[in-house]
This record gives sequence, structure tokens and C-alpha cells, in this order.
Amino acid sequence: MREICRSIKKKDHDPKIEGRSRYLADYNLTDSGREILCGKLLRSQYARARVKGVELPDMPDGYIYVDASDIPGDNNVNIVLDDTPVFARETVEYIGEPIGMIVGPDEKEVSRLISETKVDYEALEPMTDLRKADKAFFNYEFGHGDVEKAFAEADRVFEEEFTTGYQEQAYLEVQGMMAEPEDDGKMYVHGSLQCPYYVHGALARAMGTGPDGVHIYQDVTGGGFGGKEDYPSILGCQVAVAAKKANAPVRCYFDRREDMEFTPKRHPSLCRYKMAVKDGRVTAVDCDVIFDAGAYSTLSAVVLQRGIIAAPGIYDIPNVHVTGRALKTNTVPCGAYRGFGAPQTFFAVEMMMSHIAQALGEDILEFKAKHYVKQGDKTSTNGLYHFPVPIPAMVDEVDELSDLRRKHKEYSKPQSGRYRRGIGLSTYFHGAGFTGSGERDIIKAVAKLHKYPDGTVEVLASNSDIGQGVRTTFPKIVAHELNIPLEKVYYDHPDTARVPDSGPTVASRSLMTVGELLRRAAIKLRNIWVEGEEQEVEEHYKEPDFMIPFYLDRFEGDAYPTYAWGVNAIEVEVDTYTGVTNILGAYASFDVGTPVDYNIVMGQMEGGFLQGIGYASIEKMDYDKNGKIWNRSFTDYLIPTAVDVPELKVTLHVEEYPDGPYGAKGAGELPLVGAAPAFVAAVEQALGGAEKHPLHSAPFNAEDVISELNKEVK
Amino acid sequence: MVNGYSPKSLQQALLIRSKEAVIPYAGGTDLMVQNKKGAVYLFLNKIDELRQITDDGEYIRIGAAVTFTEGLKSDLIPQIMKEAVSRIAAPAIRNAGTFGGNLGNASDKADSVLIEVAMGAKVRLLSVGRERIMPVEEFFIKRGNTALADDEIIAEILLPKDKCSAPFYYKKVGGRNALAISRVALAGVYEIKDGVIASFSAAAIAGGGVFQRYPEIEAGFIGKTADEIKANKSEYLKAYSEKLTFARGRVSAEYRKTVIMNLIGDYIDTL
Repeated sequence: MREICRSIKKKDHDPKIEGRSRYLADYNLTDSGREILCGKLLRSQYARARVKGVELPDMPDGYIYVDASDIPGDNNVNIVLDDTPVFARETVEYIGEPIGMIVGPDEKEVSRLISETKVDYEALEPMTDLRKADKAFFNYEFGHGDVEKAFAEADRVFEEEFTTGYQEQAYLEVQGMMAEPEDDGKMYVHGSLQCPYYVHGALARAMGTGPDGVHIYQDVTGGGFGGKEDYPSILGCQVAVAAKKANAPVRCYFDRREDMEFTPKRHPSLCRYKMAVKDGRVTAVDCDVIFDAGAYSTLSAVVLQRGIIAAPGIYDIPNVHVTGRALKTNTVPCGAYRGFGAPQTFFAVEMMMSHIAQALGEDILEFKAKHYVKQGDKTSTNGLYHFPVPIPAMVDEVDELSDLRRKHKEYSKPQSGRYRRGIGLSTYFHGAGFTGSGERDIIKAVAKLHKYPDGTVEVLASNSDIGQGVRTTFPKIVAHELNIPLEKVYYDHPDTARVPDSGPTVASRSLMTVGELLRRAAIKLRNIWVEGEEQEVEEHYKEPDFMIPFYLDRFEGDAYPTYAWGVNAIEVEVDTYTGVTNILGAYASFDVGTPVDYNIVMGQMEGGFLQGIGYASIEKMDYDKNGKIWNRSFTDYLIPTAVDVPELKVTLHVEEYPDGPYGAKGAGELPLVGAAPAFVAAVEQALGGAEKHPLHSAPFNAEDVISELNKEVK
Repeated sequence: MVNGYSPKSLQQALLIRSKEAVIPYAGGTDLMVQNKKGAVYLFLNKIDELRQITDDGEYIRIGAAVTFTEGLKSDLIPQIMKEAVSRIAAPAIRNAGTFGGNLGNASDKADSVLIEVAMGAKVRLLSVGRERIMPVEEFFIKRGNTALADDEIIAEILLPKDKCSAPFYYKKVGGRNALAISRVALAGVYEIKDGVIASFSAAAIAGGGVFQRYPEIEAGFIGKTADEIKANKSEYLKAYSEKLTFARGRVSAEYRKTVIMNLIGDYIDTL
């Protein structure tokens, strides 16, 4: 591996280990020495209702109530469609929707006032069934080839339906934001967040100030996983409106239950797949992808786009037709979560391919292998796989780690004891960076380097370190190009008053896209370096020349410049008495290009894989017919621990990407995406295969195993 | 802010307990999470008399403030209890959590209490000038409710020695491999004398606020050989199936019922 891959101590290691890092909840006073008021949200008790009035208890001095009527700008949070209100309009659309906020000095008193506030509702009929939902926020369709003809000429046609559930990000630090009115009339908003400029855009609109009237700072953030992509924009507007009215700093952070119940999660999905097979090959795929958006559209457009582009998987299928809808239900709005729509469709397509192979009496691994795309093939959107597709070599690597091929044959023989084994394979990609031309047309990232007279260099960019290490890897790249010690380069938490907009911390883009801007900026600085002088250089994003322009209206062109690739094998032993599935081993090969820091990347790969295994197995969350989520604590919503997957082996396959720094591609999301189909396929094999027990849902937990086995008895 | 008394001796503790409205505190692993407003605690975890594990010939006596970790290290604690305790939560919680606290907390999912019920253990309760000893099964009324009087503390748990070396069955089913509350668990001890079952117990965690144990069904095992029981397995299962109750809960009743019946079948197979 390259020199740049060598692991170094993370820049935030010491302050975090020593407990010096200051999270939002740690502020006793603001940095300017002011008292901080506590804000708590008054939330809807109904999934859908008209709010006829709010009756406040007697408000002690220093306590105020804030709602939509206090918003200086307009009551729409800038996300994609801007349909999410800062505070509820005439109706509330989900349980927990913020109607207003009570603000005051004492937290307990604020809680008391919230609990004694009476809201007069006129209940309306909520939509809490995805199968009946009919309001589509987004409705997409694309394809190529002649799907009808392929189905007409098919030897066999397969039709199946797949579902996936919510997934909660379960970051260590819950959501929290604070707003401080400044002496010059500006509003300063900071907190636990991924995308300072997203919050900035939202604040400028809601506060009616324009971009110069606000600035946003990212505090030390205890994990995001996508959960802090859009939500801090909403909470940021709420605390800013409150701070404006109170003319004092206001902070709001949630307790765990509030966070789990009322902040965005992964979209539940319902995917209907139809595939045509002719002469032993899949010739057509027609799929309908439905995502449960929740009550407002927030990020559903882009989550859905990524999901449907991945819907045909990594298979060379000549005829493709895909429809995708994000439907409204009266439930908490879903948002971003590592993988961003792709885990849902990869679950469906991987299970579908495996079921077809079994129905045809073919070996699943070989059946998939003969359909893999390769370099130069067309993508689902008529773009190209411009670079090598290393999947076959990666399957071999995983086979070496796990003995996949032998075990897969062995476990496909009939099993009858209490404990039964299976091993499942998934093969997939994750499109690196933004979908489509967003990077070129919307983000237009800018990054700067500022050199001080003493020779230290500051990175100026808007990407948040949320544990993935950009405070370390950005300086590492710059120090490497400038050939100066790492201690001479630093990257502070971004404040939009100081840093250019290098885009949000999403889509596995930070290192690949912004890291490359910084690498080029560093070369520029090296070339003009004058000892002892203050100097600044700037780089702007340029789309790589090879890219086929993407048109969102017809889903045509290169949706991504390149792809990160993943191969997972998960081996299980199912206890048929208890339904408990013991994970004997989880094995993966990941190609994220060059790992700019080996330990950081391996941490991402192992952590993301484990998160995916949770999604596949035990992380179950759902709402009832009233739109209420019950699994809202870590007692009822279980995530895997280290002892649940003791044998977790990951290897890196490096296919360098010429337009990423030193060959790096998107990394963060990839490891989560393929765990669900690998796990569920393993359980399916253990239960006797798809003929006996075809499985169609994730997560698949012990209760699901028992109800599946109980079908045999009945 | 936590308020409380930290007595140095059992006598002092009992005196405070008799006069003040205090919550007995042994390990605090549940109490500190509950964090009850205005609570005043009686810290028992520094009192030596409550931290002993002793053998009086008839019983293994476990002090209420003995931690799970200490229990796991002791040669006196029977294997069935060790198996259950080793699967409680995670090491940090086992270092603080106690046998007395697990019982006093009155959870119907308490792993060590299930073993006590299965073994027919007793609990020794103390107040100023008074001692009560009663079966754990009687002490634990239902979830959130025990027979502990306002002036009493749990002093010891008494495991009958004749059950400590007996063959046993234990299986816990949680939602994951660590930090998991029992969804279903089955524990039992039995003795075989002269080729026939001389004693038999089966206690279950299956939800519904109680530990379920049915002496009338257990009586049907006595005097039979293991082979006779296995030959009539379906009869025993039917008896349990009719007796066991499954209240509604987060984990489906269908699941809990299927699993507990499978485990009872497995228990019979191992006799």
C-alpha cells in the first residue's frame, strides 16, 4: 500500500480520550459568558389533527412560548422541497411534530410547563399503512431495452415482494442545537451536525436574514450516520426562532427516547420485483420500489433516487424498467442513514437473484457470477462502468476468509437437527459521492488552504468530523503534498463565517471529493510557497472529463463517477428451538480505493458492517395503526454488541480511482449496504432453502424464525 | 445529586430503615437508571455482614450485597446460578449488581431470581429485633411487588444445599448475546435416586409479571424413570401447555409460547 495509507493517531484522539472535547450539552455558559436558556418542544399527541388552540399554564417570569407566529422569515425548512415547517402549521402530521417550544432558565420548570400545556385538537384520520398510502411525494420511472418483449419471450417469470424496516442511527450523542443572538444582530447557531451549510441555508430562509445574517458552527459531534444530515436544519431553525424572541441563547437537546421516536430513521421499504429468465439468464427486470417517507418529504427524493438506481443490482440485465415512489404516511419523516436507499433495494435484488437461482436448480454463487457487470458495461441509467469491476476477485478473497464455496455446498444438503447452518453471499456497489450531477450543479464545492507566516497551514472546508476522521485525513493529505510535518497542518471544526462551502458531510463524498480539492490546493500552495508570508489558495470542484452527463428527468447518464464495491459472506447457526441465530462469522472484502488511513478505514468497514448486521437481524422498529413508535429505547430496540459477532473479518481490495486523492473512493456507507441480504440468505439456507422457506423481509429476528418454523407445523 | 445514608453496620442500617423512608440500595444498577426524584437511599453495599457467601451445612447463604462477579468467583455458588449470572448484562454491571438487588428490584425477568425459584430458595429478611425467612417464590408477589415490609431489608438468600449439586437445566433466550433481558428462560433442578426421579422443578420466565412454576405438574415426574418420562413426553408437554400463561408483551406471545415449550421438551430430553 501507499505511504499515505499508514495509520496515524487521530487529531481528535487525545481530547476525546481525556474527556476534554466539548459537546453541545457540555456548555455551562456560552463562549461570550451568557446564560443559556433551555428549550423543550411541545409535540403533537396525534398522528394527524387540526390544532385548534394551545392553552398555556401560567408562565413564570423569564419563561416564554414560541410557535410558528414568531418566525421572522417563512415557516419552511430548506431541505429539498422545503415542505417541512419549522413549527406546525394548522395541522399536525405525525405524533411528535413540534407545535411550539417553551423556553426558560430551568430545565425542570420548562418540562413542567410543557406537561401542563393543553392543546386542543380536532383529530383527523391518519394514514399509517404503507400499502394503502396513495400520496406520492416523488414518483420516478426509468429503464432501457424492451421489457415487455423480454417477458413475452421468457422461459420463466418470477415475481416477489420484499420489505425492510426502520433503522435508527443510534449515534452515541443525541441530537442537539443551540442559537445565540450576537451583538451585531446576527444569529449564531451551533450544535451536533453534519452539514453546516445546509443549516446555514435553512436558517437564512426561516430567519429572513439572507445568508449574511446567520453563521453556523459544528460542535464536537458524537456520530451522525446520516441522522444529522437534515434534522439539525429543523432543530436549528426552532432554537433560532426561540433565541430571537427571547433575545438570549437557547439550547435544545433531546433525551434518548425523544431522539429515537421523533428524529429521522432509515425508510421502511416495499419492493415488488419481476424478473424474466431465458436460457438460464435473467433477461429483464421490472421493479416497483416504495419508500415510506413519513409526514414530510425532507430527503426522500434523494434517498429514493439512490435506491432505484441500485435496484437492478450489479447484474448485467439487458432490459430494465424501474418505478419508484416515496409515499406519505402520518409518521415521523424518514431521512438519511448510511447507505441512503441502497440497502433496501440491494436487499430485494440480492434475495431475488438467489431465489431465482434456487428455483432453476443452479448454484447461487455461480448464477450470480454469470450475471456480474464488468468494466465498459452500461449502468442501470445508461451510464458506464468506467473502471474495473473487481467483484470476482473479491468473491475469491471472501472465499479464502470464510471457505464460502465449500460451506455453501455443505449447508445446502438437508439438515434436520436442532441447530442448522447456512451461509449467505451478497455482492453490491455503492455509488461514490452525490447522485447525478448534484456535485457539479448544486454543491459546486470550494476548499481553501490558509498558510500563516509561521508556516502552519489551516484547512478551510465545511466538512464535519463525525468520527470518520476528516480532521485527521484532510491535514494528512495536505501535509503529504506540502512535505511538512502533520503537526503543521490543522483542520478545526467549521464555522460558516470562516470557511467556504465545500459541501455537506454526506454520500461518502468528503474524502474523495473534498480531499481531492485539498490535494490539488496543496500542490498549488507548494508551487507558490514563500517562507514567512501569509498565503491562501483555493480550489473549485470540476466534474471529471470522462463523465456522461446525468439527466435526472429521465435518469440517463452516469449517476456516479465511480463505485465502491462490496462482497459479504455471513455464516449462521439457527437454533430451531429458540429461533436465535448465532452468527458464526461475518466476512467481507471492501473496495473503497486507497485507504488514506488504514486504521480509520478499517474502523469504518468493521463498524459499518456490524451496523448492517444489526439492520439485518435484531434492529426492529415499527409504528402501530395510530402512528406511534413503541421501540424507542435501547431496551426495546436492540443493536448488536461485540459479542454478537465475535468473528468479523474484513479485507480491503484496492482498485484505485484516478480522480480521488491517491486513488481513494467513497468509503463510509459501503460496509452497511450488503449485510442484510447476506444474513437473511444465510438464515434461509439454514431453514432449508427458498423452496421450503423463502424469506422476503429484513430484519429477520428470532421471532421471525419461530413464526417461519411454525408454518411447518401448521 | 444522590442523597442517602451510608451505615457502617447492619444494626445501624436496620435502625435507619426503621425510622426513615429510605430505598435500600445494594448495587444501584437499576436504581441509578430510575433516578427517582427526591429519593433517599440506604447504601448497603459497604456492610460486611451483607457481603459474605457462607455454607451453614443446610444452605449456601448469599449476602444481599454480594455482587454477581463475586458470586461467579465463589466455589460455594452452584453451577446453575453461575450460568444464569454469567449472562446478566455485561461485566461492568455484574461488577456492581447484586443478588439482593436483583430480588428486591422485583423484576419478573431477573435471572438470578429464576434460579432461586427453581431451587426452592429462601430469603432472609431483617428488621430491628425481627427476622423472617420465607420462600423466594412467596416473597416475589409479582412484577414491582414483593413481600418486603417498610422496615425490612433483604439480608441473605438461602440456597438449599441438596439442590446445589443436583443435575440441572438452564437456558436463557435474550434479544442478543450481551446486555439482554430474558425474553424466555427455563431453569430446573432434579435428583435421581434408585433410578427414578426423586425431585423435579421447572421454573420459567415467559412474561406476565411472574415466574411460573407448577408443583402439581412437577409431582407427576416423581417416582418415574427418565425413560418413562420421555415415553410420555407429549403428556407432560400438554400439561405445561395448558398451565403456562402468556400475557401480551413486546415480544409476541406466540414466540414465547413456542420457545418455552421447545425448552421444556429439551429439558425432558436431557433427563
